Amino acid sequence: MFENKACDPNLCNTEVTIDEFLEEIWLAEESGGKAEKAAMFVDAGLAKDTERANAILHQMKKDGFVSLHDGKDAAFTDKGRERAKKLIRRKRLAEKLLAEVFALGADEIKTTACQFEHILSPEVTDSVCSFLGHPPTCPHGKHIPQGDCCNKLAQQMKPLVTPLTDLQPGNRAKIVFIAPKDHSRMDRLSTLGIVPGTIIHLHQKKPALVIRSGETELALDIEIANEIYVKIME
Amino acid sequence: MSAKGLRKLLLVGNPNVGKSVIFGYLTGKYATVSNYPGTTVEVSQGNALIGTHNYTVMDTPGVNSLLPMSEDEVVTRNIILNEEFDSIVQVADTKNLRRSLLITLQLSEMGVPFVMALNMADEAENLGISTDLASLSEKLGVDTFSTTATRRKGITKLMEAIPAPRRSVLTIRYTEDIEKAILAMEPLLPESRISRRSLALMLLGGDTSLKSWLHSRLDRADVDKLDAIVKGTQAQYSDSLGYQINKERLTVVDRVAVQTQTRLKKPERGVRRWLGDITMHPVWGLPVLIVVLGLMYEFVGVLGAGTMVNFMETQVFAKWINPYAIGFFQAVMPVNFLRELFVGPYGIVTMALTYAIAIVLPITATFFIAFGMLEDSGYLPRLAIMVNRIFKTIGLNGKAVLPMVLGLGCCTMATLTTRILETKKERIIVTFLLALAIPCSAQLGVIMGMLSSISPMATLIWVGVLVVVLFLAGYLASIIVPGDPSDFILELPPIRMPKLKNIFMKTIGRIEWYLKEAVPLFVLGTLILFTADKTMLLKLVEKAGSPIVVNLLGLPPKTTEAFLIGFLRRDYGAAGLFTMQKAGLLTPVQVLVSVVTITLFVPCIAQFFVTIKERGMKTAVIMLCIVFPFAVLTGAVLNFGLNAFGITLQ
Repeated sequence: MFENKACDPNLCNTEVTIDEFLEEIWLAEESGGKAEKAAMFVDAGLAKDTERANAILHQMKKDGFVSLHDGKDAAFTDKGRERAKKLIRRKRLAEKLLAEVFALGADEIKTTACQFEHILSPEVTDSVCSFLGHPPTCPHGKHIPQGDCCNKLAQQMKPLVTPLTDLQPGNRAKIVFIAPKDHSRMDRLSTLGIVPGTIIHLHQKKPALVIRSGETELALDIEIANEIYVKIME
Repeated sequence: MSAKGLRKLLLVGNPNVGKSVIFGYLTGKYATVSNYPGTTVEVSQGNALIGTHNYTVMDTPGVNSLLPMSEDEVVTRNIILNEEFDSIVQVADTKNLRRSLLITLQLSEMGVPFVMALNMADEAENLGISTDLASLSEKLGVDTFSTTATRRKGITKLMEAIPAPRRSVLTIRYTEDIEKAILAMEPLLPESRISRRSLALMLLGGDTSLKSWLHSRLDRADVDKLDAIVKGTQAQYSDSLGYQINKERLTVVDRVAVQTQTRLKKPERGVRRWLGDITMHPVWGLPVLIVVLGLMYEFVGVLGAGTMVNFMETQVFAKWINPYAIGFFQAVMPVNFLRELFVGPYGIVTMALTYAIAIVLPITATFFIAFGMLEDSGYLPRLAIMVNRIFKTIGLNGKAVLPMVLGLGCCTMATLTTRILETKKERIIVTFLLALAIPCSAQLGVIMGMLSSISPMATLIWVGVLVVVLFLAGYLASIIVPGDPSDFILELPPIRMPKLKNIFMKTIGRIEWYLKEAVPLFVLGTLILFTADKTMLLKLVEKAGSPIVVNLLGLPPKTTEAFLIGFLRRDYGAAGLFTMQKAGLLTPVQVLVSVVTITLFVPCIAQFFVTIKERGMKTAVIMLCIVFPFAVLTGAVLNFGLNAFGITLQ
């Protein structure tokens, strides 16, 4: 499957390395651990160039992005977390975009997303987010941090991805993501074969929603259908 | 293999893929075959001779995943985990191969030996789906067979393979985080009949039903370590791990399905599709429902409750059995007391058997036939869609329609069926409504007979009162009973032509059950009445009950008798009222009041016992304490209302 590590910076660009470090710390925080300096250097591909790595890390500290504990573990400052959040958001949105819209393979997604994360402007990021219907998770199931657009639920751009309830009977659509209130609902749907990537046919919306996937016909409450986001197919 | 050389075979598969039919074919014993998701709650067992070996065959409840999410799925997973089986037959729905392969993959991960039956091959063929069995067998590493169980096609070949099942070679590598967690968990997990990897995946998927099993085999410390790994891994995901795991499984499974199945032609929109569509159509669904109800009324109400009851009562019992029995007992029984025990006004033959066999049996039998047709046709889940909205107002969803409709046949059976509902709240509400407002077919038949002889207005009022009570009580219950309603996610089986043999077998089974359950109670009720009559106790009870019966309900004192036996069975009570009406002892208003009261009256003894068993003593008693006053009060309000407005129903 996919890799979840930070990107490998082939470019000897300090800005990129800073981003890599922020990302490493984010991932460490996400899995409930600490970001160890040594591990960070290895994952960022700077294991052999610790001098430069240390210098960049100290620059980050000076700039107020991170704090160092025992000279060993790096942790975010508020400023650092805010920057990392935007970075992670750009990366995972890019992954989602590449996976859903361009249907690229896992490797291509990885390398391309790693470049996108450094270059997307805030406006473009929000547009991508709206375009994808404000997805909550990336293709690997990890959380995508929310942006301003998610709170406003900006609808200026006609979204490519819409809730299942917005379809008309007779439409065929591909599920892009499912964002249910509770986990058990997601689990149930997945055992019935309803997961991202599944192609469904909306049969009717009243009195209950009926969808067909292959030869499986399912009736769903409107509330559940509202949590299933799809892309219409021609 | 057990010491006696008796081998064990498990049938495992999704709901409604024909496991029960294959089970019936293998064992010769029939298990319930039905379209409604989840009716095979209980596990059927039977014996079969396969090749030269004797097998015990277990028909496990249908599952969509072996990472259990429902009681049924827990049962099936536990059977695989704990039973000493030699072989598994995975029964798959050929046209839904993808969903079946999700289970195949899990069986493969468990490392258990199995063979696979791709059932309903006829339906897949009609849809133009063709499966490359050789390629599928090769990819899975197990033998696969195409079967059409209902026509006994392909079963012989399947049976030949059962004694030599193989382990599947289908594998999957999950996302790194999950694989890492599995690796960390495996050394901590106990040795069992299924692989540690599969156990680890169940735990990661959020399966809490394994807890007690783990605790009985592991140190507390190890269980805590496992917990910590699961929590740590889940913390990295905002989606549930179970969902993530299923998602990844489906990618592997989709690949296999795409490579082995092709659609040769576009399926034509056949009559069955069309029927399936209009039965749940927002507009046309309603007329269809009315037609279905109308047909049921014609069959159960007119043919069963009318023609057949009439024949049984006035011909079979009144002209043949009873005169013969009376003659017989007069000849052999010199003691008047004992003779009356059998053929007197409260006699076992003249009252209990006449009611049970002549009045109630034809109605129940016709109802069960009609219900069997509804079940096997696939109409019930579509009906659930139609009523989903309305049921929401009473804290339920469309799925509750199955126990409610079955309740119109027999509320005791229906109370058992409430197990298919997912939350405790729903089960309590449905059990309560069954105890209060749903008349069973036996009662319904008698009541219809009584109401039809007075003005149609009476029937309308009766239906109106019931509907109001049903929704009022349901609405209140939905507020009072704590808990959440469950999600409405319902699989719709295709509309099928019911197989007469299935219906016949099912109906026979249900009638047998009914007779065993009801007739002893009828006899008991008669004995109580007989004793009460002989000891003058009956007069006393009538006197004691008269403030309620006479003053509140405005009924003659003798109706107390009917209500007294109504405590045993409502239909028996109704039958008592029926006889009184025939004897001209009740005015139309009294008929309506007594009929409404007896409909809402306490559940029969059997239903009460089942309620205790399913919901617990406390809940059952509380329900009883609500139902009884509720019934009397409604009757009283109706009585005063009708009189106040001077409605005579003449």
